[in-house]
Order: sequence, then C-alpha cells, then structure tokens
Amino acid sequence: MDNTLKFARTKATGVLLLGLLLSSAVMYCQSEAPIPVMTGSVGYFTKVTEGQVQNIPSIDSLLLVPIGDKWLIEAKSDFSHTWGNQQGGGEYGSSSSYGLAYAQVDYIANRYMTVVAGRFIQPFGIYTERLAPNWIRSLQATPLTVPITSGSALGGMLRGGFPLGTTKINFDYAVYFSANNTNHILATDRSTGGRIGFFVPALRLEVGASFEQLLQEDRSHYVGGHLVWQPYSVPLTVRAEVVRSSGFYGNGYWIEGAYRLSQVPQLRRLELVGRAQQFFAARVSPTASSDVLDSVGKDTNQADFGINYYLRSDLRIATSYGRHFSLNDNSNQWVVGLTYRFVMPLGPKGSPR
Amino acid sequence: MKVRTLNSLVLVAFAMIGLAVASAWATTPKKSTPAPAVAAAATSSSGAAQDDTMRLEGEKRFRANCARCHAAPPKFPPRMMGTIVRHMRVRSLITDEEMRLILRYMTE
Repeated sequence: MDNTLKFARTKATGVLLLGLLLSSAVMYCQSEAPIPVMTGSVGYFTKVTEGQVQNIPSIDSLLLVPIGDKWLIEAKSDFSHTWGNQQGGGEYGSSSSYGLAYAQVDYIANRYMTVVAGRFIQPFGIYTERLAPNWIRSLQATPLTVPITSGSALGGMLRGGFPLGTTKINFDYAVYFSANNTNHILATDRSTGGRIGFFVPALRLEVGASFEQLLQEDRSHYVGGHLVWQPYSVPLTVRAEVVRSSGFYGNGYWIEGAYRLSQVPQLRRLELVGRAQQFFAARVSPTASSDVLDSVGKDTNQADFGINYYLRSDLRIATSYGRHFSLNDNSNQWVVGLTYRFVMPLGPKGSPR
Repeated sequence: MKVRTLNSLVLVAFAMIGLAVASAWATTPKKSTPAPAVAAAATSSSGAAQDDTMRLEGEKRFRANCARCHAAPPKFPPRMMGTIVRHMRVRSLITDEEMRLILRYMTE
C-alpha cells in the first residue's frame, strides 16, 4: 500500500470519527436528558460551649451524574476546619476533618425498587439521611441519638416508595447489608437492617420504624421510630425520632418543632425552632474494655431553641441556644452562623418550558 | 482510483457533519418564533384545564414531599431539575408518579 493511499484512509477515518463525535455532541446538547450537577453547601459557624469558642468553616459537595434513564452516580464529600481555644480559655489551636459521606451507584429498576451499591448512608430514622446537611437542619446541634447507630454502610441496598392501593397512603422501604471496613475515612460496620415508612398526604403525616443488627463486636441491635407532621392549618413542622439499643451506647429520643412566621408579612423570613431530647446511657458491664467505657455517655437532657432567618431560599442565618443537663456537666451551647446552598450545572442546562 | 474513492468518502463525511449541524440549528427552538402563541392557539380548552390540574397537583406534591425536610428551592432549568429530582427520588423515596408531577411543576 503506497503512502498516499494510507494517508487518505487515515484522513477519511479521522473525519468520519470527528463527524460522529460532533453529531453526538450536538444531539446531547439538544436533548432533554438530565445533566451532571454539582451541589452542596458552605457554612461558617461560631460555637461557644462552656467558654470554649470554636470557629468552623465547612464545605460539603455532592456530585450527581445521571446516566441514561435509570442510573445515577452520587458522591458526597465534606470538609471542615475548626479553630478554637481550650475549654475555659487558653491557647488557640486548629484541626481539620474530612470524609466521604457516600459514593453510591443507583439503578432505578422499576417504579417499586431502586438498587443501590457502594458506600451509602444507613437507612435508619430520618435525621442522617434527610436532615443532616447544614443548609437543611433546623438546629445546628446534632441530636444526641445520632451517634448510637452505625451511620454509614458499605455494600448493597434495595429501596423504593409507592402508593398502597387506593388508600392514598405512600409506603416506603429500604433494606441493606453492609460489610466491615476499617479504613479511617471509609470505616463501616458489618451490619444489616432496614426501614419502613408510611406517608399520608392528606394529613401530611409520616411515621416509620427502623432496625439495625450489628454483625460484629457485641452483635447489638437497634430499633427506632420516626415521625414527621406538617399540619395544613399552620406553617409548623414537627419531627421526632426514638432509638433503643441493646448495646453499650444507650437509648434516647428527640422531638423538634419548627414554625415559619410566613403568616406575618414583616417576619415571613423568620423561623422559630425548639427541640427537646433525652439520652439514657446504657448500663455497662464491669468487664467491658476501657475503650468501650470511654465511648459511653451519661444520662443527658438537652433543650435547644433557635432562630433562622432566610435571606434567600438558599442563604440562611442560623442561631441557637442550648442547655445541656448531665451529671456534673451542665453547660450552655451557643451557635451563630451562615449557610449557603449551591447548585451548579456541569453541562448545557436547557431552557424552561 | 482508490485515492479518489477515499476522497469521495471524506466529502461524504464533511457532508454528514454539515447535515448534523444544519439539522441541529434547524431544530433549535428560536426565541423569535412565536411558538408558545401558536401552541396556545392550537391547544384546546380541555388541554389547558388538564395542564392547570397537573400543575396544581405538582405543586401540591412538591409542598407535601419536599417541604417536609427543607425550604422551597427556586426552579431550575429542566435538565438540572431532572437530575435533582432523580436524586430526591432515591434519597427521600418519593413515588414514581410524584417524581413526574414535581418535575413538571418545577420546570414550568
């Protein structure tokens, strides 16, 4: 084959490939297919607890990559830096924390089921999966019951939500299995569990129950219940969770009310929040190891009050005061800060219909 | 002879690219085209009523489901909203029907 022929063939192949690439790109730009999106939040908080001042800037970013009609890749990372002094004064120091909250692949198999694989948030209660991001949570203080359960999982999950017949009740479920992982950023427990929930749209009432069985260490189990209610008559949201554990950590519950003053024109951007919670530490066996003993808390009651001001739907000033009551350790907790939620398209976003 | 054939192939490829670009340009909705007005004229009153019903139903589902956790976000362009609603379907377990109604409401 002479060189001229070889060159002409290469040229033809190159142009054909370029043509295919270009037409695919043009078709993608014009289609209505969902595009990758980067979302998340940034926040800056000052917390004062027992004379200890902490300044905490943070950023959470969530990458969403849809593929076709049925697939979605989700990856969320978080980073925060804390500057603070010692309790009761003293020198300032700083520390950083970072982690991968989840990195999962979702496959929407049908209208009843989605298959999830990877690292995901354990489906237990409502707080960790739905309310934890700082731009969503009504009070920045995390409920005392949240650390009781494992939090994250590495494995597979089946979940879905669908209406139950004609009764106008939506049913949702999630069941999962997680493997043990000891990596310091991705640590998970070997466990299994799930959650079911019922939502009555006519009452805007959601109730549900959760279960986790730890398959390692003390093989403890955890059961929980949750409730969300938004009456139509007033702009009020009531949320509650209860967790009972057979392990070393204990039991507890929290109940929270958030009232948006949307009926008063001058105050419609304000939200008043209150939360009450109790934590009952487990009775620990005298033969328990020292690291277990150190991780067990004390019976605690806590009351928090907060005021949130929405500058925009995505920009909020959050303030709160909490009083913490536990044996020889009563304290005040003040929080003031700002949260901003961002959403960025990573492709041609299309125009409104 | 073979070189001539390949040159023709190159021309055909260029023609394909031109055709793709032209068709893309031709199918892009033009802002100056009074398409909504034409569509509105062509739409029957029953169709408009159905659209209104679906929009109201979408808003109702949005308020019942999304507002349980967070404040109402602004509306985003359709291709962004498609991704966000798919994420929320998995995260907060909204039903397939609710996802479609909310997507419609949030992109109108």
